[in-house]
Amino acid sequence: MALLEVDNLHTQFFTRQGVVKAVDGISFTVEAGKTLGIVGESGCGKSVTALSLMGLIPKPPARIVEGSVMFQGRDLTKLSERELEDVRGKEMAMIFQDPMTSLNPTLRIKTQITEVLDRHYGYSKDEAVKKAIELLEEVQIPRAAERLNDYPHRFSGGMRQRVMIAIALACNPKLLLADEPTTALDVTVQAEILDLLEELRREHDMGMIMITHDMGVIAETADEVAVMYAGQFVEQTETQELFDHPEHPYTEALLEALPQLEGEGIRHGRLRSIAGRPPDLILPPPGCRFAPRCPHASLGDGCAEQLPDLKPIRQGHLVRSRHPASQREAAVTA
Amino acid sequence: MSADPREAYASGTALPDVVTGAAAPGAGAPLQQANLWRDAWRRYLQNKGAVIAGGIFVAFVLFCVIWPIVSPYDITNDPLNFSEAYETPSLQHPLGTDKLGKDMLTKLALGGRISIAIGVGATLMILLIGVVYGSIAGFAGGVLDNIQMRLLDALYGLPYLPFAIIVLAIIGENNIWTMVIALSIASWFTAARIVRGQIITLKENDYIRAAKAVGARWYRILTRHLLPNTLGVLIIAIFLELPGVILGEAFLSFIGLGISPPDASLGSMAQEGREVYRVHPYVIAIPSIAIAMLVLCANFIADGMRDALDPRTRETKEH
Amino acid sequence: MTAFIIRRLLWTIPVLLLVILLTFVLMRQIEGNPFRRTSRAVSPAVQQNLERKFNLDEPWYVQYALYVKGVFTFDLGPSLVTRDRTVNDIIKEHFPKSLELGLLAFVWAIALGIPMGVVAALRQNTAYDYTLMFISNVGYAVPSFLVATLLIYYVSLKAGLLPTNGWEGWKYKILPSFALGLLPMAYFARLVRGSMLETLQQDYVRTAKAKGLRRRRIVMVHVLRNSLIPAVTAMAPLLGFIITGTFVIEIIFSIPGIGRYFVTAISSRDYSVVMGITVLTSVIIILANLVVDILYGILDPRTRDART
Repeated sequence: MALLEVDNLHTQFFTRQGVVKAVDGISFTVEAGKTLGIVGESGCGKSVTALSLMGLIPKPPARIVEGSVMFQGRDLTKLSERELEDVRGKEMAMIFQDPMTSLNPTLRIKTQITEVLDRHYGYSKDEAVKKAIELLEEVQIPRAAERLNDYPHRFSGGMRQRVMIAIALACNPKLLLADEPTTALDVTVQAEILDLLEELRREHDMGMIMITHDMGVIAETADEVAVMYAGQFVEQTETQELFDHPEHPYTEALLEALPQLEGEGIRHGRLRSIAGRPPDLILPPPGCRFAPRCPHASLGDGCAEQLPDLKPIRQGHLVRSRHPASQREAAVTA
Repeated sequence: MSADPREAYASGTALPDVVTGAAAPGAGAPLQQANLWRDAWRRYLQNKGAVIAGGIFVAFVLFCVIWPIVSPYDITNDPLNFSEAYETPSLQHPLGTDKLGKDMLTKLALGGRISIAIGVGATLMILLIGVVYGSIAGFAGGVLDNIQMRLLDALYGLPYLPFAIIVLAIIGENNIWTMVIALSIASWFTAARIVRGQIITLKENDYIRAAKAVGARWYRILTRHLLPNTLGVLIIAIFLELPGVILGEAFLSFIGLGISPPDASLGSMAQEGREVYRVHPYVIAIPSIAIAMLVLCANFIADGMRDALDPRTRETKEH
Repeated sequence: MTAFIIRRLLWTIPVLLLVILLTFVLMRQIEGNPFRRTSRAVSPAVQQNLERKFNLDEPWYVQYALYVKGVFTFDLGPSLVTRDRTVNDIIKEHFPKSLELGLLAFVWAIALGIPMGVVAALRQNTAYDYTLMFISNVGYAVPSFLVATLLIYYVSLKAGLLPTNGWEGWKYKILPSFALGLLPMAYFARLVRGSMLETLQQDYVRTAKAKGLRRRRIVMVHVLRNSLIPAVTAMAPLLGFIITGTFVIEIIFSIPGIGRYFVTAISSRDYSVVMGITVLTSVIIILANLVVDILYGILDPRTRDART
């Protein structure tokens, strides 16, 4: 049985301006020991997805209106807040994008780590401190014992993210959600953090969901990947397959937007960007949501009228498009 | 370093930066402020509390201005009428009469005129002093700023009302103008601090550097770029100073150190009522409630404006 | 930490000197003569003698210097009007009562205001929130003399529960301190509420939730402490406000405090008393600011490392 099975998840925000359908029917599974990458541009709903899994969406305006999240045999959407609190931090953990603001500036690192241990395992003070030092060493923070007493502002960005990882791993969770963990960091540090994550993931045999807007990160870390656009998945497959045979026009555009400095696909001249903006999630267009920006949509093909389903185009490769790449080639050669 | 609680309340949020979004490139470009104010006005109108408060405030001001003109009673010139003293509210005297038989409703309007006049006058004066002092300090920076701030620290050490009392004593007279001067001198510090803070924050913006790079002179930068962007915060500060000034005047008049007869403010009306509150509570209650109402309205209006001008705080309130 | 405190302390001295100077200059501007104002008119010769005795004939900077020396040796000079008493005496007699009144008011403000703000924030946009904020609005807007009067009217006269004036026992102290504490209470309530709401939005609160911490711990340890920082900053000016705002309450409740005396002293042009009281209150305000700065340093570790 898969570690995590999400089925038809719908998360909506009820605001004064209307109902924002942030997550509009996505399904996926994560196997133990594997990494699922969710990639998409800002505002597509990927962070909300992760927060929905943990039940961390702000409850008054937001709500999971439909769908199930099966984790370890239980549907998380049906659990009470207290039950969820037992799952969070212990079975499922999350690290966030901005390590500067994600740590409490007025508490020592020691407290921020030990409180998790105390909460879920009831460690004594000494045991907790010892374990905390171990954790810091695991994330490769030098002079761990001394630095334990420091406040967050004494650490650099990369170090803070390591601390966050240490906190997340403290109770050996089975699943780790990483919401753009490297976006706020320097490029040189990014690679280190990703490597660290991968190493720890393998050691602890965790499943991981890596959320990012960076295809490069996907290439490095994800076993499987889902491309998200305007609250829905538009393509889902294994990573290698996605890079070798991207089908959805959006995926292609994302890949084309990557700078290529050397090798086969070397690109000169201007970087390609995707024209236009994502649709309004309160009143999404009736048809394909990418249609306004899609170079292959044209009048009369139904793209703007009817939303295509997420269908397999090959074994293990789902696409939500009327013009997947392989069919386009076929049409041309025909 | 002392901080006025109103400062934390008013200036904790920086105003959304208009110019970088809307202005054409180059220094001295006209600020496209129209959109900001229209949007803010629209947002303000969505805040029911603020709109009601604004309405009450305006209504009361109108009442104070118009009623004495149309009222059948002439407070200053009518003969004293002790037989009608301390009447309870009736059709003839909707709010009763005072110890000299004068109509309370008309007195309230007149008192309101003076209290509001002093309040508004002092607030504007505070604004003026504050803007001048604050922009010099914020813009000049360095040693001058330091000196100005130390001076401000010292001034903060002087207690508000006693300071005003002393200033009044110096001036010698107690009329509307002197009250305005005294109260504003005693409380301009916070406004100066806020202006300085804003200027310092805005000074670092790139469009200021752009303006300097094109050779704009300092007074142009100050008046054209910096001050207009502080306008929003200033307006909020005004409405936050208003209650303090109104209450200040009320307190001073209440203990007899404020407005002297024949002028009467809401505060001095309350003082008159103090003597007989056990028997005729409404004489002190009426002006006091009017004061409270003005202060409350000013607060709500300030809240409304703050929310209207800085959408960030609104989002917090939404859920 | 100690360096921080010492730096702060050193800063207060020039500020204090400046305050004394300002008060000094201000007082000198007031027309009027402490000697001529008393009912006993004084002949010019006696006037001159008195002026010489009190150093009033010296140039102002000499007087200032003498006064400053006096302040630092805790000698605030004699009262110019009631000539058999010194300012110190007067202060010793009346100030403790005002201080007590002020501190009690402060206690009311914190004991009621902070919980009000916390509850209102945690139950945002519910009936609790609206009611509490309404109460705080009223507390802020309604002038304390009205509150005092109403309290006396209803609680003392009608219900006979508490005495109307004086300061002889604990019963006497409840109403005046409550009336005085209402405005600061309202301030704290609003401030704490706003601050908590803001803190609840912070990323680190989200992290705390993601750790699975119980709500109680999140609120008490992560949210409350950080929310109280602005409230602490506001305490100094509020304390200052309270201590210097006692005079109205003192007058209404007939409490023999320093505020009431201050008002009389101004009218009678008793320079030294006015100076003395003003200097005293300024010192208190400055010290209160110092304490707040230090507290802030303790609560928010980031400020300790930053330059003051």
